[in-house]
Amino acid sequence: MLAKTRSYALNGVDGYAVGVEVDLNAGLPSYDTVGLADTSVKESRERVRSAIKNSLLRYPLHKIVINLAPADSKKEGSHFDLAIAVAILAASEQLEGRAYQDYVFLGELSLDGSLHHVNGIMPLLIAAMQSGYTKFVVPSANAAEAAYVAGTQVYALDNLRQVYELLSDGETHAPLETKTFVAGRTEDKYHVDFAEVKGQYLAKRALEIAVAGGHNVLMIGPPGAGKTMMAKCVPTIMPDMTFEEAIEVTKIHSIAGVLDPTVGIVASRPFRTPHHTVTIPALMGGGTKAKPGEVSLAHNGVLFLDEMPEYQRRTLETMRQPLEDGAVTVSRAKQTLEYPAKFMLVASMNPCPCGNLGSSTQQCKCSAAEIHRYLAKLSGPLLDRIDLQIEVDGVAYEDLRSAERAESSASIRERVNRAREIQRQRYRGTGVYTNAAMTNAQVQRYCALDDACEEILRGAFRKLNLTARASTRILKVARTIADLENRESIGISHITEAIQYRSLDRKYWE
Amino acid sequence: MTRYDADALACIRLSCETSLKKRCALYDSVERPSQLYDDYAQAEQIVQRLREMDAVAICRGDGAYPDALYASDCPPVALYCRGDISLLRDRRYKLAVVGTRRPTRYGKDVTTAFVRELTRAGVAIVSGMARGVDAYAHRACLEESGKTIAVVATGVDLVYPSENLELAQRIIREGLLVSEYPPGTPPMAFRFPERNRIVSALSDATMIPEAGERSGSMITANLTIEQGKELFVIPGSVLSPQSAGCNRKLKELQGSLTTSPDDILHAAGMDRRKAQTAARQITIEQQAVLDALQEGEMHFSQILDRVQSSVAELSALLTQMEIYGLICKLSGNCYACAPQL
Repeated sequence: MLAKTRSYALNGVDGYAVGVEVDLNAGLPSYDTVGLADTSVKESRERVRSAIKNSLLRYPLHKIVINLAPADSKKEGSHFDLAIAVAILAASEQLEGRAYQDYVFLGELSLDGSLHHVNGIMPLLIAAMQSGYTKFVVPSANAAEAAYVAGTQVYALDNLRQVYELLSDGETHAPLETKTFVAGRTEDKYHVDFAEVKGQYLAKRALEIAVAGGHNVLMIGPPGAGKTMMAKCVPTIMPDMTFEEAIEVTKIHSIAGVLDPTVGIVASRPFRTPHHTVTIPALMGGGTKAKPGEVSLAHNGVLFLDEMPEYQRRTLETMRQPLEDGAVTVSRAKQTLEYPAKFMLVASMNPCPCGNLGSSTQQCKCSAAEIHRYLAKLSGPLLDRIDLQIEVDGVAYEDLRSAERAESSASIRERVNRAREIQRQRYRGTGVYTNAAMTNAQVQRYCALDDACEEILRGAFRKLNLTARASTRILKVARTIADLENRESIGISHITEAIQYRSLDRKYWE
Repeated sequence: MTRYDADALACIRLSCETSLKKRCALYDSVERPSQLYDDYAQAEQIVQRLREMDAVAICRGDGAYPDALYASDCPPVALYCRGDISLLRDRRYKLAVVGTRRPTRYGKDVTTAFVRELTRAGVAIVSGMARGVDAYAHRACLEESGKTIAVVATGVDLVYPSENLELAQRIIREGLLVSEYPPGTPPMAFRFPERNRIVSALSDATMIPEAGERSGSMITANLTIEQGKELFVIPGSVLSPQSAGCNRKLKELQGSLTTSPDDILHAAGMDRRKAQTAARQITIEQQAVLDALQEGEMHFSQILDRVQSSVAELSALLTQMEIYGLICKLSGNCYACAPQL
């Protein structure tokens, strides 16, 4: 007697169908899994047997052979349990009819037969749906997440007994109702708003420009100047996530197992803050069981690196690929995975190891060599990918005490949205969405300068010690400033303001 | 290609002696340097190194050797040069600019402003390419397309401190880098005072913009006086330890008080030359900022309170004014009027 059920497995953020075949043979009772199953799949034996027994069903005393097809790809994860259990029930002729063949089963079994939450439900469902499967059985703990996949019939059940009932008599359980997406906001999570940031006009303005044009930002300032606070505010002025964006983010978070099971979707832009001891696999993704790293978890959101020069140089350098391509490729001997990683980098650093360089009140105790070493942690190619460098200064006591409320995130966001819309129109059909992502040809075309602007820029290079690499950055930022003002061409004030944001290039600490 | 005769090779060999006293004594002990050594293998090696990096050695007795050095105590037996060696015997007025390695903003501003003004008038700047005042002096001079000589205390193939690498390359291209030590000589504390005597000897006068009580610049200052040359000292704050040396010198030598580039130009018999930047019409907005900054340096938000403007407009305006040289940006988003002399 042979039975076949269907489950799904993940490869990066995409999935592929896995057929679970169970054959019962005569012989001493045994349970063998073939098809490159890893330990967690092989261990399913005990879970499946106990679960079947404790669901008041019969565990067949046969030589049981389980094959996971395709047999040449490695299967990981405990979510095959359910498909195996159902296949055993079908093979031992405990299920009436062939209803089980219409479903894709995803779920981990507990010894008492209940279904446990599994990671990656959203990407699994989407992948299966795209291949034409519409009926699913998932653990009820994954219900919130599964409900967002429209066009499917998803049964979220508590235990194996319910699955048995569903397959024997389909009327007993109803499929989930599809939920509609409501974009959430990060301020709900962190309770921050730009209205609470006192003073810091220049830094706030720079962050507005950065978000409007999708530029990466580096904030430089003494400890306690409010760099982290402002970084946390950045997602609050980013445009709301669209449903597609939210699904992309949820898929990644679901695979990594950081999705809140009660909410089921990532509705607000992620804000990730890996500590500076982060390892390369944790940041980029990978590991023996490949998982998305911090750069992917920050997809469509903000990756905040506090005290950037404290990170290992090697770690920082690996970020060059995602910053350039918007994706991370994790290569292993047997497989190559790609995780999306389109994030806005917000980094902060002190001007020197002690943090007091350039301060008007504190004396800097660092030697020139120490400062040089500290700044040299950031390589030229990395700095090249950071369009804006903002100097954040200590907040004056009066500013902190002032009752005046600054502009709120909501009103800044309106301006950002308008500027983003202009960019979307301009780059329609080119695969580029923001000014920061402009190609060289596009810079030439959309950032043309008139003679007066050219002269200012030339003067700036001479007078302010700008390095050559600053030029394209300045043009891109100037383009964004012009967009914020809804201007067709770049004017002198746009160029000069953009020059302001190149403080590292100006060899400020010379 | 420069050819070196036996005397020159002997001088090159002699320059490898570590002790300055010994070098002088040996040189004086014989009639011709070539009598000192029989074997020139080491000197030939150095010559080869010099050729590789396009440097030359100008030895005592050479036609190209600057007369000014003969007047000094213990003239160097050989000068290793990279760059324009005509500067050594050039008749133009040469000013040594030396000072602290850790200048305050005042020291940096004063150095830059004075050197720019003097360079425009045609003065050549001699300094030691050390960190701080020395480096600012060289840079300001080069920015005005002036002529500058760096006298270093290492071999001419090395750069110390290494952060001045770019500056050194520019000096070699547009000015002159000299040392009395053979290529490969590493920086050693005792060589810096020795180097100072060449700085002052090559120059017609010495200016000290900012120097602490125990600064090496004080050595240069004393040598300048000993050599009978003029010393120009710029006063600093009595509260600043980085100006303590200058202020003490001023107490001893009141005549050295210098408050304007004109003081130096007057002594040199030269005139100030107008800056070549076209006079620009100052707009109302710019004037408002300048008026606000009359009260001293100010933070961005303070300026914002004084002028009627948005953050974006003011930010653009300030950068523009900085490019025009009307104001300068300090760290911590503070601004000040550009120093006027």
